[in-house]
Amino acid sequence: MPVNAEKEITKLWRDLHSAQAEICKTYYRWREVAVAVAGPDMKPMDIALKAAEMMGKDMGKSLLPRLNWLKGEEAFLMNLGRALAGTWVTEGALAAAEKGEKPGEVFIRCTRCPWPTAAKEFGVPMEEVALTRERLFQSMLQDVSVFFNIPLKIEMLKAIPRGEGEYLLRLSKEEG
Amino acid sequence: MAKVLFEWDYASYPGAKAYPNLFKPIQLGNLMVPNRIKYAATEDNLNDHNGFITDADIAYMRSRAEGVVGGLCFMQGVYMDEARKGQGYVGQAACWDDKYVDGLRRIADAIHSEKAIAGFQLMDCGRVGAVEVESGHGPSTVPQRLRIFKPMFEMTNAEVKEMVRQHVDAARRGVEAGFDVMEISGIVGYLISNFLSSYTNRRTDEYGGDIRGRCQAMMEIIQGVKEVCGPDIPVGIRLCSEELLNDVRGNTPEESMETYRMAEEAGADYISCTLGWQESIYPVISRDIPQGNWLYLAKRAKEHVKIPIQMAYRLFTPDKPDKAIGDGELDFWEMCRSMIADPLMPKKVLEGREEDIRHCVACNLCLARLFRDAPMTCYINPRCAHEHDDNFTPKPVEDPKEIMIVGAGPSGMECAYVAAQRGHEVHLYDKRSEVGGTLLEASHAPYGDEELMTCVNYQKTMCEKAGVNFHLGEEVTEQLIADEMPDSVVLATGPFYPQIEGAAGRDNVVNVLDVMNGKAQVGDTVVVYGNRKPGIGVALFLAKQGKKVTLVGREKTAGFDVNPSFKWRYMIYLKQNGVMAYNDCDIEAINDGEIIVKTFDGYRFPVACDTVVVSEREANESLKKTVQSEGIELFVIGDALVPRNLSSAVHDGYRIGLRI
Repeated sequence: MPVNAEKEITKLWRDLHSAQAEICKTYYRWREVAVAVAGPDMKPMDIALKAAEMMGKDMGKSLLPRLNWLKGEEAFLMNLGRALAGTWVTEGALAAAEKGEKPGEVFIRCTRCPWPTAAKEFGVPMEEVALTRERLFQSMLQDVSVFFNIPLKIEMLKAIPRGEGEYLLRLSKEEG
Repeated sequence: MAKVLFEWDYASYPGAKAYPNLFKPIQLGNLMVPNRIKYAATEDNLNDHNGFITDADIAYMRSRAEGVVGGLCFMQGVYMDEARKGQGYVGQAACWDDKYVDGLRRIADAIHSEKAIAGFQLMDCGRVGAVEVESGHGPSTVPQRLRIFKPMFEMTNAEVKEMVRQHVDAARRGVEAGFDVMEISGIVGYLISNFLSSYTNRRTDEYGGDIRGRCQAMMEIIQGVKEVCGPDIPVGIRLCSEELLNDVRGNTPEESMETYRMAEEAGADYISCTLGWQESIYPVISRDIPQGNWLYLAKRAKEHVKIPIQMAYRLFTPDKPDKAIGDGELDFWEMCRSMIADPLMPKKVLEGREEDIRHCVACNLCLARLFRDAPMTCYINPRCAHEHDDNFTPKPVEDPKEIMIVGAGPSGMECAYVAAQRGHEVHLYDKRSEVGGTLLEASHAPYGDEELMTCVNYQKTMCEKAGVNFHLGEEVTEQLIADEMPDSVVLATGPFYPQIEGAAGRDNVVNVLDVMNGKAQVGDTVVVYGNRKPGIGVALFLAKQGKKVTLVGREKTAGFDVNPSFKWRYMIYLKQNGVMAYNDCDIEAINDGEIIVKTFDGYRFPVACDTVVVSEREANESLKKTVQSEGIELFVIGDALVPRNLSSAVHDGYRIGLRI
């Protein structure tokens, strides 16, 4: 039976998007569980930020085997930026790393993100979505910073959930 | 006057004439070593999980001690802390208390019983330690790159001093146990190497900072160990000549040489020169690295220090180390895997029996086993780690049989010589005119696979010496079996290559063996069906010829049957050679100029190709029914039983050779 390329690609594409949607939903289902278990004295925002911290820490570990210093600091930072953008893309975002104007600076720009949409379904405040993304990336950098002995920081300059049309994060070396 | 432990005179041996530099004495500290041979300390996971020595380990060591013919024979490195942070292997010997001395003495005695010099090694595994506990210790808290390793936490200044004391205490116990040479392990990511490296040492106290500060712990250990060892026990250290950690900002080669100078300054009597860490992303000891590739590092080390230099990596034959010693570029030929594969290797060299050596094929299965908490085993030496087990020793038969072995590949030949050594009359048949089976083709694969033929050469020699009757160029048929009516038949016919659906009548669907031996015509765009080792081998073989190769196979990952300590090399080579691998997939159809690939979950896509190479294999049922219908005792071994790998073939053959 000959291959109908259009049919095969459509099927793959749909399945990928279903999986990406499920990633977001699963996360927010778990958030609901955690909020319920934690009880009324615990703020959902604190739970979400703790989750971002723990998940980021673990995701950061998986970056270590894929990063190296062979091409120097600039290439290292760019690769790191691409790796962060890549994790976002896996989740269903449109994100990419861009060279900054100054040396030792990389921007991560995301023009489409599935998380705010999923968050709305579960009644999650938009500010939480923005802050957990920032905390997630910050936590991912923790082990990378120590491993390569280079202090790294990432800050959020713009965020879709804040109505700014896109996410923009600045990845850079911490000034001594 | 240097101390002599055992008298050895090699003058009358052929090996001493052929390799004069290997069999001349050398002084280490105040100890005279009669030759330049060393069995390097190697973990084997044979000891009990509380660090006590077992009979298995003693037997293992005794056989290696026999092999070094008077040279240095080192037991595995011992861990030295009760907290077990320094323990890197579940079966690693311990030495943190006097209660271990008696067991250690048994090893020293076993080595001495073979008139060899007993070496003791101190080894805190540092960054690759803590195998039985939750976290390890190191100079700084630097995260692990791989999840399999436990997290490391920075030692306090007091803990560093305690660690130095532990080394000294363990050395004292080693001396009490009767060892003659003391060695400190400072390589591959173990604790001392962690202190030396800029990658893992970020301390700001006296044990960190520049390279001299990072050497401080090592120097204190050497000095402390020297003190308890006294003048007659040389103290050496294993150090990286290059860490191969430039991807994570490790030491420069110049800094590594500085560690050598500092070790010498602290009083080390010799240095064992190594390279690379377990975390390094470069291959060092696998068979894709040419023999003798790293000798330039030993030469460089000798330019920086005056004390003797020892080296092991990729020196599997005596010619290169003999020449290097003669040229003043090396002082000792260290062996580790070579003597795992053949414990008597140097002895055979001395006796002029090099054709009797079973050479290591540098597959790293031994390492893969250790990293997975399994006892040592060897890919091609079935007796390895079973030296203590009488059942693994061939014994003469009371009732000799006439045995027909069908197939002169590695499985059939292994079985043939073992059975013949035991007194059976063995007839070995093969339809080809030469021995070797599918290894003849497999050895054509690139990246060092020609070394696999050393296994065939060894087995052929053993068969000839054991009196096996060869019947080459003779195909075994039902009629031949009926005419000969042997007592036993061993089918070692190799695998069966099934035809894939849609291949009938197509001359562009060819067999892997025909490709590897040049009989098949192969186009420029090739699909290899089967993603196990044979598929990878032929894919790389064709890619090296400039062909566009796609690998399609049912296993979830390519190289499913390759041990993990070697597999990573293949993955890199596939990528480097532009081989696309579709794993967890099958070929649904073969059309003109393309195949249809179907993924495990049902997606389908075409892949352009002008040739399909079939490397998938199945068990070989031919002749089985015939033998059974004649009522003859039957054994099926190797790929004929279940298609696997060279190791399984050899081990099958050996065990049936023992049992038959």
